[in-house]
Amino acid sequence: MTGVPLNIDWQQILLHLFNFTILFGALYILLYKPVKNFMEGREAHYADMDSRAEQALADAENSKASYEKKEKDFDEEIRAEKSKLSKEIEAERERRLAAARGEAEKIISNARGEAEREKNEIIESAQKEITGMVTDAMEKLTLEQTASDAFDQFLDAAEEADK
Amino acid sequence: MTKQERKKAILVFSLIALVFMIGSILAGGGGGEEESIQTVMRDAVMHDVNKVSLFGLKDVNPALISGFIVSGIMIIFALICRIFVIPRFKLVPGKFQLVLETVVGIFDGMAKGNSHINGFLGAYIFAAGSYIFTGTLFELLGVQVMTTGGHPISLPAPMADVNGAIMMGCLSYLVIMSGGIVGNGVKGIGKTLKDFSLPLSLSFRLFGALISGALVTELVYYYTAMSYVVPVIVGVLFTLLHALIQAYVLTMLTSLFYGEVSEKVVKPPKEKKVRGKKRVTVAKEQSV
Repeated sequence: MTGVPLNIDWQQILLHLFNFTILFGALYILLYKPVKNFMEGREAHYADMDSRAEQALADAENSKASYEKKEKDFDEEIRAEKSKLSKEIEAERERRLAAARGEAEKIISNARGEAEREKNEIIESAQKEITGMVTDAMEKLTLEQTASDAFDQFLDAAEEADK
Repeated sequence: MTKQERKKAILVFSLIALVFMIGSILAGGGGGEEESIQTVMRDAVMHDVNKVSLFGLKDVNPALISGFIVSGIMIIFALICRIFVIPRFKLVPGKFQLVLETVVGIFDGMAKGNSHINGFLGAYIFAAGSYIFTGTLFELLGVQVMTTGGHPISLPAPMADVNGAIMMGCLSYLVIMSGGIVGNGVKGIGKTLKDFSLPLSLSFRLFGALISGALVTELVYYYTAMSYVVPVIVGVLFTLLHALIQAYVLTMLTSLFYGEVSEKVVKPPKEKKVRGKKRVTVAKEQSV
């Protein structure tokens, strides 16, 4: 081996190679691969957790959107129902008002009729009373006149008789 | 601990260190000083003096023994992790699980960031990076073995041996070529062969970086007077930096070249002749 620079020995190089090959195989099987597998497994586990969390978040977002849509629809429905009800109430109010007006008019009309009738009755009664009174007065007058005439006639007759 | 107790502890520690220092100076001789610094440093590069017997079959460089020991330690560690730690992994990781996941994640991310074909590349750079890092730190332990010459030496980093570095450089090049073949077929081989200097540069960069660290450490440890405090910075800190930097450099370069050669070649739109000399590109025709 004197001719080889730095005492390079091919047999020893191969022995070093043999040594390192065994070490490489052992380290790969015993340390590198299991640790790497574990790290990849953990990465996959967290990626899975992450995707599940993202899915849950997306579901929650969807639920929120759906709920908000439902809420909005419900508000719309309430608004429409309110509007419909207020219209109905207005119509009912109008109807009742009209009915009340009709009733009032009827009552007024009846009252007027009654009043007219009562008035007529009163007038008629008054007329009758006046007529009666006048008649009575006339009768009285007539009677008084007749009596005085009779008395006068009597007196005249008596005077004549005397004569 | 009160201030006074702390002062006492520092004093006792300093006294013990002083006793050891005086003892080592008085003892003198021995150890590395049996060889000259030139011999030590030459041997660190050439590995022609100190050889270790491989089960009596062959005399090999001490770094090969380091390689076997480092591999053994790493395999046992991986086996313990596989049996006792990985089955107890939790979704929210603990400290040790986090360390394992970070190391695997760094190399896996490096592979994914550089190439779309990254399964094998990730596993390779994980093994190579871990081997270089652990191997370089291994020299800090100073494991002693007996050379064939009959004196003990501390085992160096596996990559501080030119044979180990050549193996790593050439293997990385072959891995890069495999990426080229998977990504672009025969053209991938051509693309890889364009960088024919790559195995050399990968090998000798690794070897040079580690051997320079080893030489500085040898130099520092050779002299008794420099064996205090200095090794903490030069030995430990440099070795740690080497371990990190060289593991990163080799894995990064391998990933980059792998990504480059495995990238699909997009053919430019062909020009076709339309009646006589008039040429219209297919793309133009499609856009019209």
